[in-house]
Amino acid sequence: MSEYEKYRQVCREAVWTGVTLLVLIAAWLVLGFGLAPLGGTVFGLPVWTLASTVGFWLFAVALVALLVHVVFRDMDLGADDGEARK
Amino acid sequence: MTQGNPMALLPLLLFMALMIAIGFYVRRSQKSGNFIQQYFIGNHDLGGFVLAMTTVATYSSVSSFVGGPGMAWQIGFGWIYMAVVQVTAIFLVLGIFGKRVALLSRKFDAVTVVDIIRERFQSDGLAAMAAFIIVLFFCGTMTAQFVGGAKLFAAVTGYSYSMGLLLFGLVVVVYTTVGGFRAVAFTDTCCAVMMMIGIVLLLYYVLSAGGGYTAVITGLEANHPEMFEPLSDGHMPVGLYLTQWILVGICTIALPQSVVRGISYRDTKSLHHAMIIGTVVIGFMNIGVNFTGILAHGILTGPLASYGGVDNIIPSTIVAAMPQALVGIAIIGPLAASVSTISGLLIVASSAVVKDVYLHHQKKRGIVPSTQKLRTLSMAATAVVGVIVFFIALTPPSLIWIINMFAFGGLETAFFWTLLLGLFWKRANRLGALLSMGGGTIAYCLTQGLGFKVMGLHQITIGITVSLLFFLLGTYLGKPEDKKVLAVFFPEKD
Repeated sequence: MSEYEKYRQVCREAVWTGVTLLVLIAAWLVLGFGLAPLGGTVFGLPVWTLASTVGFWLFAVALVALLVHVVFRDMDLGADDGEARK
Repeated sequence: MTQGNPMALLPLLLFMALMIAIGFYVRRSQKSGNFIQQYFIGNHDLGGFVLAMTTVATYSSVSSFVGGPGMAWQIGFGWIYMAVVQVTAIFLVLGIFGKRVALLSRKFDAVTVVDIIRERFQSDGLAAMAAFIIVLFFCGTMTAQFVGGAKLFAAVTGYSYSMGLLLFGLVVVVYTTVGGFRAVAFTDTCCAVMMMIGIVLLLYYVLSAGGGYTAVITGLEANHPEMFEPLSDGHMPVGLYLTQWILVGICTIALPQSVVRGISYRDTKSLHHAMIIGTVVIGFMNIGVNFTGILAHGILTGPLASYGGVDNIIPSTIVAAMPQALVGIAIIGPLAASVSTISGLLIVASSAVVKDVYLHHQKKRGIVPSTQKLRTLSMAATAVVGVIVFFIALTPPSLIWIINMFAFGGLETAFFWTLLLGLFWKRANRLGALLSMGGGTIAYCLTQGLGFKVMGLHQITIGITVSLLFFLLGTYLGKPEDKKVLAVFFPEKD
């Protein structure tokens, strides 16, 4: 990758990291405030208490794994690939 | 209490001995080469697991393990719902800044966040301001960690506050001074592992002492139904959720102690692994420790006042639930949170003094200090900052917890826009950064001092807004940065 390509890729990764945050905020709202009025229990607890904590956490891990595998790319952190590091 | 529990002391002593041993081992195994790179950043050599653990451990402070679960005991599941926003903290900082600062640091031989800010905005004044803010706010945060850890030690073991401070306070100063950043990263990893073991142990014994999961939950439903509501009958206002997203979620990406970890890793594979591992670990810790706080209702059935406030809930739980022989292991978790945060801040504060102030000044005068001199100065700076904070903690200011959160918000206000816009927006310039860092921090400190709030929200909302407005104003009024500088930061297509 050239310096320019690395920069573009880093910007792309930063933007998608921000998008992931927005998706997580939406999920957090739905799993907590969204589910709270609906009732129902799991393990003796209201559904929202588990969904908005453990559920949200597991969703975040899955989404970050997806982000890393789909958007993030390996790159040399030194000079341009193929160019001797100064 | 004057009678201490020797059984509680032994595991702690062993753990502290391990920390010291790691510090000396790292020092012995240091390779020849650039001392500053090695001491302050570990020579860009951290793998994914250690990077994740050191980022989580530095971020998770003693208040996450003491004040937080104490609040969960009082508020209920709304508190965990709020605390879980912190699962975003690790992947955000590593995902947004991780590669950007890694690439830039290798271009400039940068070892600190201030180095990168100086290169981007070509301003010694801005760099000096950034270094000053780091040292000032870090000292406040470190003092709070010392005080929190020593108080917990005294409450659980029965030994004195001063003894606790001496035991783990001096240990953290010694291993950080001796081993530098690499020792901090490895000890942080041990600390994070111990935090997780401590949570699992405490959860098990809390459930056991409380009569089992079903009994505790049934009792809670009968006596505290509001604890199962997100707003907890008005104890968790919506505004608190909003400010917590800003204060302990989104804006934490700009904390210099987190961003600097982007300079320290070996390769991009390590970064990618760390983003996933860090999200797993921070979620486990946050949910586990706060859930334990709620379940402590099975043991601590009295009103809050009878335990002396939320900060005493976890110490009282440990004493009431754990067998005497395991108290020492249970307390290692929260103390590890304290120690790992202190070491992470101490090495960055020391680098601000040595690299950002002294070394830069010498470079401008054309003087190149010898490696031996740099080694002595770096270790001396780490030790001196650590010892100063240690002595402040011996006679702690009464508002120490307020100072802790104050410092957290102050750092975010100072660095959020300067780093985010500085590294991703070409038009961002020196005047914008100067006004943003200076004006935002002053606005934040003033509103904190006066107790002024907008719509009842934490002052971070004011600080971060003022900081942004100043940044935009300065950018539109000031001159664009030099084209050569911009070409390095924002490469054009060949």
